[in-house]
Amino acid sequence: MAERQTIDARGAFCPGPLMELIAALKLATVGDEVEILSSDKGSATDIPAWVAKVGHEYVGTTEHDGYWSVVVRKAK
Amino acid sequence: MASKPLFIMLCSGEHEKIQLAAMIASVAAVSDRPVEVFVTMNAVLPFQRGLSKEQRYQGGHFHEEFMVKNVPDAIELFEQGKMLGDLKMWVCSMVLDLKHWEHDRDLVDGLFDGPAGLAKFLSDAEDGELITL
Repeated sequence: MAERQTIDARGAFCPGPLMELIAALKLATVGDEVEILSSDKGSATDIPAWVAKVGHEYVGTTEHDGYWSVVVRKAK
Repeated sequence: MASKPLFIMLCSGEHEKIQLAAMIASVAAVSDRPVEVFVTMNAVLPFQRGLSKEQRYQGGHFHEEFMVKNVPDAIELFEQGKMLGDLKMWVCSMVLDLKHWEHDRDLVDGLFDGPAGLAKFLSDAEDGELITL
């Protein structure tokens, strides 16, 4: 059964949140979701662009007070 | 379609330039793009083994902020790029000769794939995109 893990990368500057997401995806199983919490504004656009480039599945982004939650599903 | 390889020539020892090179190299490498970095001239000096963070990183408008805020360490970014993507690091053989250094004895442990000459790097770079910092 697919799982979801959350990584709190708030406070880290670019490209820290993206690198943390990638490291988590590498260890995840296909179908698992990784939610990354980031206060870095660029992550909200960078992460979906990276996901499209490498072929994972972008689930969505939610804006909170001062940070973003971006969810990605491992597709390969 | 395979991405065009990215070649980065790093010749500035300024913290800002090293940071930008590490950011570009690591993000490109984890985006399925082959990357080769050629470190030369005084950019080699901050890669000396055994330096403290304060000794290693100097210079540039944002240097002080990089040091006190949660900005990823440049050496660690290069290491992540190598671990998670196709990133190779080469150090200029002429600079090693001038300093009487060996890449696997005097530079950051395990970071460099080996020494390289400029002619080889430029020849390889004809097949990709070259950025100089």
